Amino acid sequence: MKTIFTVLKKELTCQLRDKRTLKSMLISALAIPLLLFAVFKIENSFINKENNKQLNIAFVGAHAEILKNEFTTKTFEIKKNYSLVSGLDALHKDSLDAVIETNADYLKNIDSQKTSTINVYHKSESPIVFQKISQQIETLKATLLSKRLTQLNIDQKVLHPIAIKGIDLTSDQEKFGQLIGGFLPYIFIIICFLGCLYPSIDLITGEKEKGTVETLLSSPASRFHILLGKILCISLMGLTLATLSVTGIFIGITFIDEIPPEITEMLHQILSFKFLVMLFAMLIPLSLFFAGLLTVLIVKAKTFKEAQSIATPVNMLVIFPAMMALLPGIELNWNTVFIPILNLALATKEIIAGTIQISHYFAILLSLIILALATLYYSFKQYDKESMVL
Amino acid sequence: MIHIQKVTKQYTLTKKQQKELQTNTHSINAVNEVSIYCKPGRVFSLLGPNGAGKTTLLRMVATILKPTSGSILVNDKNTVTQAQGVQKSIGFLTGSTNLYDRLTPAETVSYFGQLHGMPKEQLKKRTQLLFDQLDIHKFSTKRISQLSTGMKQRVSIARSMIHDPDVVIFDEPTSGLDIVSANSIITLIKECKDAGKTIIFSSHIMSEVDLLCDDLAIINHGKIIYNDTMDSFRAQSTGQSLTEAFITTVNAN
Repeated sequence: MKTIFTVLKKELTCQLRDKRTLKSMLISALAIPLLLFAVFKIENSFINKENNKQLNIAFVGAHAEILKNEFTTKTFEIKKNYSLVSGLDALHKDSLDAVIETNADYLKNIDSQKTSTINVYHKSESPIVFQKISQQIETLKATLLSKRLTQLNIDQKVLHPIAIKGIDLTSDQEKFGQLIGGFLPYIFIIICFLGCLYPSIDLITGEKEKGTVETLLSSPASRFHILLGKILCISLMGLTLATLSVTGIFIGITFIDEIPPEITEMLHQILSFKFLVMLFAMLIPLSLFFAGLLTVLIVKAKTFKEAQSIATPVNMLVIFPAMMALLPGIELNWNTVFIPILNLALATKEIIAGTIQISHYFAILLSLIILALATLYYSFKQYDKESMVL
Repeated sequence: MIHIQKVTKQYTLTKKQQKELQTNTHSINAVNEVSIYCKPGRVFSLLGPNGAGKTTLLRMVATILKPTSGSILVNDKNTVTQAQGVQKSIGFLTGSTNLYDRLTPAETVSYFGQLHGMPKEQLKKRTQLLFDQLDIHKFSTKRISQLSTGMKQRVSIARSMIHDPDVVIFDEPTSGLDIVSANSIITLIKECKDAGKTIIFSSHIMSEVDLLCDDLAIINHGKIIYNDTMDSFRAQSTGQSLTEAFITTVNAN
């Protein structure tokens, strides 16, 4: 036990003195809140800009003047003297946002209780343009409909024999679980893996490449204790980075003003002691599993470059099941409970939503512990081979 | 003492290695039925061309590798069945100064002392003594990456000697070192000999061998082709320099 702690302490010292490790830790802690802040800031300013933007529109066709009266709000600036051809040309050149065309039968059709068509030429790259014009025309449509019904002496209710009223019983916590629950495990699983990746190459292959392994192996410390010390250090680095990233997400959500207060409030409700214990109970065997897996894979590599080329594609094997948890319809059940990584991602989602079944949770925990022990055992088998270490 | 009895180390060749070596054989003997005996208070030199099997043999003595057949006893302890006992009594120093760049000399020496299970007080005293002897104090808190090759070599010596081993293995300890650094190794070997330790060292430099050795073995293609005292080797090589005598012996086998 003392030897394991000695190796762990030494490896942690080396890792924490490594600029690359420190940078990645700092990035994990700061990048996510900064990224969240930037995304929300940009998105908000974009939406505000779009909402406050005055749209340049032109009316063409026989009854353009009549329709113009419906667009006298500040939202629209009506441009004059456009034909359909010059209007479309201006639309292509972005000097107009939309061209509204009424056909020759517009008034005739309305007066004779028929349907008139209004063509709205726009570019879908800015969906808000069509939305705003449609809203305006919808108002006109409602007025005309009301007039017609009055003329015909028909109550408006006749048009609505059934009203559908959806009563959503999903709690706010469940909604939040669906919203952030898929995203959160995706982030911390990937970061936990990346957190293990560099230290594993450094501690296993690096020691071989630098030639320090010989003196280490000629010491009375057993190879198992040496390896365990190293694996604990690798896993601790992964765990720390994952923790920093999760903390970063929560700090980001708490302090970004643009995030609605109800979400922030919900977040504080979710961040209970129980949630943190359940999350970390899964993260610990996960990081040990990653550390053991990476050790098994790279133990044979003789150089840093070789180890990197072996370990990097594994990234995909981690990302894929983590991404699957984001897909709709993928749920935690007895089929998905034993699929590594996917089970953890789905479980996190359900823990946040407060819908996790305790039997599922313990099955996941057990499967993660078994996986971690299996990779640990196999990595020791490999590390004990002369050809692998030297 | 080190007693090596009919030790063979066989490696299985992969197809890639077979191709590289242009051979059809599935295995190769890096060390073949080697028997030598190193006595305490004497310096035993292991000579041989590159790839002769010197490092493999020394790694087996240091318990890093296991012999395919035969046995190695270090102070009457078997390197395979009593590996931990052997590891406690050996110090292993290689030519390339392999140290952890991100640690300081003090941390490096303390780390190896702890791995040898040394009590805190003993470790402190021994570190103090070695740092005095090797003049490490002035850079003991600097990172290894900031040290010169000579400084690193001194730290390497302190690391290998921290547990005061009875048996010291030097694998080409002066290779790549400047004269001053190489001299510190020569001095260390002499001090170890005077202290009654068992010393085995491999080298390419005949002047070092001439200066230090009491007993000598020459290894080529994994086999011992000469094994006697240094005095006998000197007597045998009349009219030739030691280097010429070494080359003659290697070429004759």
